[in-house]
Amino acid sequence: MPDVVAEAENVWMEYKDIIALRDVSLQVGEGKIKVLFGPSGSGKSTLLRCLAMLTKPTRGKVFLRGEELTSPEADIDKARAKIGFVFQNILLFHHLRALGNVTLGLRRVLGLPKQEAREKAMKALREVRMERWVDHYPAELSGGQQQRVGIARALAMEPEIILFDEPTSSLDPELKGEVLDAMKDLAKKGRTMLIATHEMHFAREAADEMIFQDEGRIIERGTPKHFFTNPSTDRARRFLARLVREGQSNV
Amino acid sequence: MNALEQLIFLLEGVQITLSVSVFAFLLGIATGIPMMLLRAFGGKLWELIVEGYEKVLRGVPIVILMLLFYFGIGVRVPFLRDPFVSAALALGIRSGAYQSQIFKGAMRGVGEDQMTAARALGMSKLKAFRHVVLPQMFIIASAGLGSEYALIVKDSAYAFFLGGGLLDVITRADILRAYALTEHWEYPYFAYIPTALIYIALTFPLATYLDRWGSRRKKKLGI
Ligand SMILES: Nc1ncnc2c1ncn2[C@@H]1O[C@H](COP(=O)(O)OP(=O)(O)O)[C@@H](O)[C@H]1O
Ligand SMILES: [Mg+2]
Repeated sequence: MPDVVAEAENVWMEYKDIIALRDVSLQVGEGKIKVLFGPSGSGKSTLLRCLAMLTKPTRGKVFLRGEELTSPEADIDKARAKIGFVFQNILLFHHLRALGNVTLGLRRVLGLPKQEAREKAMKALREVRMERWVDHYPAELSGGQQQRVGIARALAMEPEIILFDEPTSSLDPELKGEVLDAMKDLAKKGRTMLIATHEMHFAREAADEMIFQDEGRIIERGTPKHFFTNPSTDRARRFLARLVREGQSNV
Repeated sequence: MNALEQLIFLLEGVQITLSVSVFAFLLGIATGIPMMLLRAFGGKLWELIVEGYEKVLRGVPIVILMLLFYFGIGVRVPFLRDPFVSAALALGIRSGAYQSQIFKGAMRGVGEDQMTAARALGMSKLKAFRHVVLPQMFIIASAGLGSEYALIVKDSAYAFFLGGGLLDVITRADILRAYALTEHWEYPYFAYIPTALIYIALTFPLATYLDRWGSRRKKKLGI
């Protein structure tokens, strides 16, 4: 294993009447791209949120660069600044323009001066090809453009890892491509990413490893080639077949 | 005094009426937001305390609060012995009890997701509130804050009961009435109509503007 960036160790997430994660362990190494997939309700979002400590797991440990974030002494805010998060429902700050959305964390979390924050933000916005839309409010952008700003917002903080929670699933089909392209660019540049997605075409092209999750458990993991030629569990096989049938992706 | 002189005399009270009201309004923001936060994040006990406090303030006629401050507590607390201070303070803390409600609704309107997105960037709760939630709350609350402001201006007229030490618009109207009636007590007296118009002029345009500005802004930002 190369340097481990993010790690979940025997993580459980128990809600009142449902167990969302059962003993999940996972490591994401430096520069790796891992794709998390599985039926709705299988706990993908919960796992990503636990890794970013947006919710605290009920059992188990979460690490970032070897530092235990689940420990009571951990500085969670500081850790979150090093973890990028891209949301399924995008969640841009409505009252700020695209540029303001990206500079906010640079200014208020990293404490950069205005000019420097602006330059960094512009660089991130250029990476997702949104440099011409910086003065637009989120409501004035298409869903795909909004999500690209969402990616730039995470990217600009120069995080150790970016967690993507189904970044294209709220978008109309014709807008998914531009977001996936932006993610492929990041992948090529060697960013460390953990991506929950059902875009199997993207997974096949970009993922180092795919992780199939069901009912809060990791059922199977392997390379894209493994999953697309010969998945070993029935559940993964059936789920992939269903994805194809429903036309959710063009495998 | 001729009619014009009387009108000018009345208008000279605008500055005082506005000062009392603006001070009270700002005090209402300064107390309303912390109360709303205590209620939302302070746990069960604080929720009960704040709720009780707000209920009492909203239930008591504002004139009683003013009288209590000025003639009651003011006897032992010298700085309340100023009708301006008593009136503004009474209006301000009462407004806080209403503004707490307005902001509570506004925060719900902003939604938890915005907070989550800010926390995900590494912001503390306080920073996230300050930079992400609060600015949007003001936009959502603008119409409500506009009517609250109008209510304060109107209710500032109760300062009249503090005995004439505060030369606001209503007190001046009463001075004119006393002056007019000593000379022509049998004539019908109509100077309350321009007085009423002054209060309308102080409330209506700003409240309307805030309402419109808020709707436009909300539409533009999609909130
Ligand atoms: N805050 C919560 N309270 C209770 N149950 C939750 C909460 N968040 C998620 N769950 C439940 O946990 C399970 C996993 O959800 P989630 O992680 O969102 O799955 P996925 O992202 O794979 O669709 C679901 O059954 C969901 O209803
Ligand atoms: Mg999900």
